[in-house]
Amino acid sequence: MVSMYWPGWFIFISPLLGFAFTYVVGRYHRNLSGLIASLAVLGSLIASLLAFFYVQSNGTVYNSFVWFYNIHAGIYIDHLTLVMALMVSFVSLMIHLFAIYYMKEDPNKHVYFAETSLFTAGMLGLVVSSNLVLFFLFWELVGLCSYLLIGFWFFKPNASAAAKKAFIVTRVGDLLFLVGMAILYSSLQGYTGLGSNSPLSIPFLIQNAQAIASYVGPSVLGTVAVLFLAGAAGKSSQFPLHVWIPDAMEGPTTVSALIHAATMVTAGVYLVARVFNIFYYSAPFALYSVVILGSFTALFAGIVGLFVNDIKRILAYSTISQIGYMLAAIGLGGVFGYGGVSFGMFHLVSHAVFKALLFMSAGAILIALMDLRDTRYMGGLWKRMPMTVTLLFIGSLALIAFPGTSGYFSKDTIISASWVYYQHYGTVQSLFPWLFLATGALLTTLYTFRMFFRTALGKPRSHLAEHAKDPSILPLIPLFILAIGALGLGVLQGSFYGFIDPSYTMPSVPLYIDIVPMVLMAIGLVITFVLYGTSIWQRMDFSKNWLYKLGKNKFYLDYLFTNIIAERVIVPLSASFTLFENSYNRAVDNVGTSTLKLGDFFRRIQNGVVENYFIVLIIGVSLIFIAVKILGLM
Amino acid sequence: MLIIFLLTILGAAFSFAVKGRRREYAVYASGLFLALTLIYSLIRFHSGYTGGIISQETFNLASSIGIVFSTGVSGFSDTLIILSAIVIFLSVIITENGKYGESLYSYILITEVGLFGVLLSRDFLFFYIFWEVVLIPVYFIVAQYGGRNKDSVSLKFFVYTHIGSVFLLLAIFTVYTFHYEATGVFTFEMSQLMVNTYISKIPAFWMYFALFGFLLAFLVKMPSFPVHSWLPDTYDAAPYPGTVILAGGLSIMGGYGLFGILMPIYRSMGTGIMDLLMALGIISLIYFSLSAMMQQSLKRMMAFASAAAMGFVTLSFGAGLVESGYQASLELAGGMFQIVAHGLIMALIFSTLYYIHRSTGHDATHSLGGIFREAPILSSFLLAGLLASLGLPGLAGFIGEFSIVVGVFGAIGWFIMAVIFAMIITASYHIWAAQKSLYGPYNERLGAIRDADGPTTAKLMGMLIVIFVLGVVPNLIYGLLLTYAGGII
Repeated sequence: MVSMYWPGWFIFISPLLGFAFTYVVGRYHRNLSGLIASLAVLGSLIASLLAFFYVQSNGTVYNSFVWFYNIHAGIYIDHLTLVMALMVSFVSLMIHLFAIYYMKEDPNKHVYFAETSLFTAGMLGLVVSSNLVLFFLFWELVGLCSYLLIGFWFFKPNASAAAKKAFIVTRVGDLLFLVGMAILYSSLQGYTGLGSNSPLSIPFLIQNAQAIASYVGPSVLGTVAVLFLAGAAGKSSQFPLHVWIPDAMEGPTTVSALIHAATMVTAGVYLVARVFNIFYYSAPFALYSVVILGSFTALFAGIVGLFVNDIKRILAYSTISQIGYMLAAIGLGGVFGYGGVSFGMFHLVSHAVFKALLFMSAGAILIALMDLRDTRYMGGLWKRMPMTVTLLFIGSLALIAFPGTSGYFSKDTIISASWVYYQHYGTVQSLFPWLFLATGALLTTLYTFRMFFRTALGKPRSHLAEHAKDPSILPLIPLFILAIGALGLGVLQGSFYGFIDPSYTMPSVPLYIDIVPMVLMAIGLVITFVLYGTSIWQRMDFSKNWLYKLGKNKFYLDYLFTNIIAERVIVPLSASFTLFENSYNRAVDNVGTSTLKLGDFFRRIQNGVVENYFIVLIIGVSLIFIAVKILGLM
Repeated sequence: MLIIFLLTILGAAFSFAVKGRRREYAVYASGLFLALTLIYSLIRFHSGYTGGIISQETFNLASSIGIVFSTGVSGFSDTLIILSAIVIFLSVIITENGKYGESLYSYILITEVGLFGVLLSRDFLFFYIFWEVVLIPVYFIVAQYGGRNKDSVSLKFFVYTHIGSVFLLLAIFTVYTFHYEATGVFTFEMSQLMVNTYISKIPAFWMYFALFGFLLAFLVKMPSFPVHSWLPDTYDAAPYPGTVILAGGLSIMGGYGLFGILMPIYRSMGTGIMDLLMALGIISLIYFSLSAMMQQSLKRMMAFASAAAMGFVTLSFGAGLVESGYQASLELAGGMFQIVAHGLIMALIFSTLYYIHRSTGHDATHSLGGIFREAPILSSFLLAGLLASLGLPGLAGFIGEFSIVVGVFGAIGWFIMAVIFAMIITASYHIWAAQKSLYGPYNERLGAIRDADGPTTAKLMGMLIVIFVLGVVPNLIYGLLLTYAGGII
């Protein structure tokens, strides 16, 4: 085995140590906890940078050892890993720094910082792990941290219900992912190319994907891939497993920024990108389901986002929608090969930056408004909190892919690529991705600026909004750094694509297609400004319209899961099992009572159980001897 | 090993002589046994174990009719011995002085003797005797210190498991008799009786009768649907230390019966029995999970959860033996690992529930509520136990469940979705229980409650650390189990 590359391990060990130190030291010095956690995350960032230069000069890192049986544990660092590790540690550091300000009043902040530190460790561990089983371990660890942090204010009934919902919904996806691993594991049995590799080792799978596909059959591998996609959908909150994210906004806003916007929810995208070769070499339905799931979710979440008033929930739906774009980009790999991954990953990075910015500026607003989250009661905040709202504005521009911002470079490439995808196949079902994604561009503008104009313009519509004030500039420094990223990351586009896939091709489309998203965006801006930049929206009333009701109720999906499946199916099912169990139990008791004549037996028992025991034993033994006798005669 | 075993017998017998300070005596004695078994395992199993039985000793008592006392340890039974030593030690130290009568501690020590005896014996006569020895003290624990309905429940427990034992005895005598018919030698030695070449010579009816007897006895102990009725009542009525022993100690007996006794003759059992076992495993999983969901009392709910977790063990035994290659190894080792993990996790959960019950006086989800605010340490331990029980990675339960689920696809195909369904239900009611009892607004009717003090935290922490270490470094015992399984298949 090659010698261990320690900086690679340190990427996730550093926040793990940070977790322990933060908790222990934080118990006695609450104010140090944020600092320690931030330092630990800084350690990861430095380690990731070291690994970056190391991989540039020495190539891919792969260290692993036997964990149990033929399951190995270890780290695998290639270009994809580096991008993700750098992004996670950088964004996490920014959010940790802001959280020192955001959480400064909380009595349990050492627990908070310990948990976010543990989360960062889990996320980075997931990024560098070399085996799907270890990947799954960290995958569940981040899920656990998400559960704990959503329910961080455990005394709020909403928060603990949301935490429960998040855990169970993602668990559904996780277990489907597990089934995928089970099928892969059992179908690889007897594969001669396995050698000393673990059947679930990531480098083994992605380097031999073509041979594996011909060994296990493309459709079996495709089934595996679709099950992986189901796991990704649970974690990355894609349709129909997206229902947990909007509720998860009950947690602290920095948690929403870190876990439910920038990092953890992109873990599903990372999974698909990580084992992209499995998708690529298996039957075509695997990649097609990726692109269709992604683009449909992008459209769907955009529609639902139009009907929401809670500022954090609007951002949550936009996260779901943007992750749809990332998945769709990877799914386009059927035409672009590994280039699809580079498109998706670039959008992932730029989204992480501007979405963290959006959430944290929303968090700063919420502090000023005493956690009033309904945009209908905001208004006029640009005058009262100029710095924060400008930051929110920059984030919003990046989100709608305004030309020049990072979102423009990362998202419009994907939309153009989906047109090339259509041209390549020329069928109707290959047109859907472009249709969905381009319509998504309009919807993104609509819900984003509906939120922004209501927040920033007009007159304050509540007492709290009238008295809002900017925080001091110091806590906003991380936001300014992110804002620079949101505006300027676009310049890296070409070198980024080349870093992930040296042989990528930029999608080239006719001008009239290229400008479609921009025109839609402009239309969206005009509509929202007319309606929400003024006070017209206050006079609109759709409450009788069935379309409005459909959207307002999130297409009844939450209702389906909670009220139909959980309450009308699972609960009665469980109740009937319990009923059966109880009557079965009683029947057994009755049989026992009548045959043993309990009362009689009872008195003798109380005289001495041991005697009774021996009586039973003797009866038993004599039965045996009778049996033996009979046997002997036969 | 034999010396340790004799010491436990002496220790248990001597405990009756100790007056007044019997709890302290039991703490020291069970602690000593734990230390001794650990030292023994380190010496004998640290390296160089190649499968099979080691440390064999044989004493002829009446060799003309084949009565010998023979002992030996395999990698599997050694891990179970350590497990039961840990569980017994835990059940002793969580009690407090004066809460229970002195005889409780003697009963616990006798249980330890019985468990060690079951795991050590390599001949059926003494195996059976110790199998019964375990029952008696547990019966007394429930009957004397139990809660509601303790009389009828303890009787039910006794009679129920005893029916299983009778069939075990019948099965033993069947194989004993036919061995005499075939070879003219009387023997109870497992090494003679549990051999494929011999078992397959028994006439079909009697062979299946014997197998039925063994399986019934083991499945009752497991417990598996539909022979589980004793379990929820007994777990519920037993005092908490008794529940810890039942869940952590006695539950291993069924699993040991399958993996330790029946596995060597799996070739004679045929796929029909394996299919039946797999079906029972899956049915148990779903049935117990769904029944657990509606339980009001956390103790009863966890009793069902424990039974569901053992469904995995039944499933893995059936599946592992019809598979081949690396899947089979993963499956079998996973099943055995699951027995160990389940014992540890349930011991942790019931110990924590004991402390919660002690400070609040309740163990129903609806009478608790929001206790995280007042008792964060106990709540965290309960949460950790629940998470371990639903198979969260990083904790011991995951390694077993992962191995079983991943390995099982080769045997049951898309029936795996039934297993997944049960796992989703399991996750739901665990999380639901945690949410209802630990989080949300505090139930003010509970008044001021006491959180865990230092020693309590240390005890539970020790348990959690064991679960955590096994979850992160499973190879501590996984390798042993794998070697043991590899020696047979």
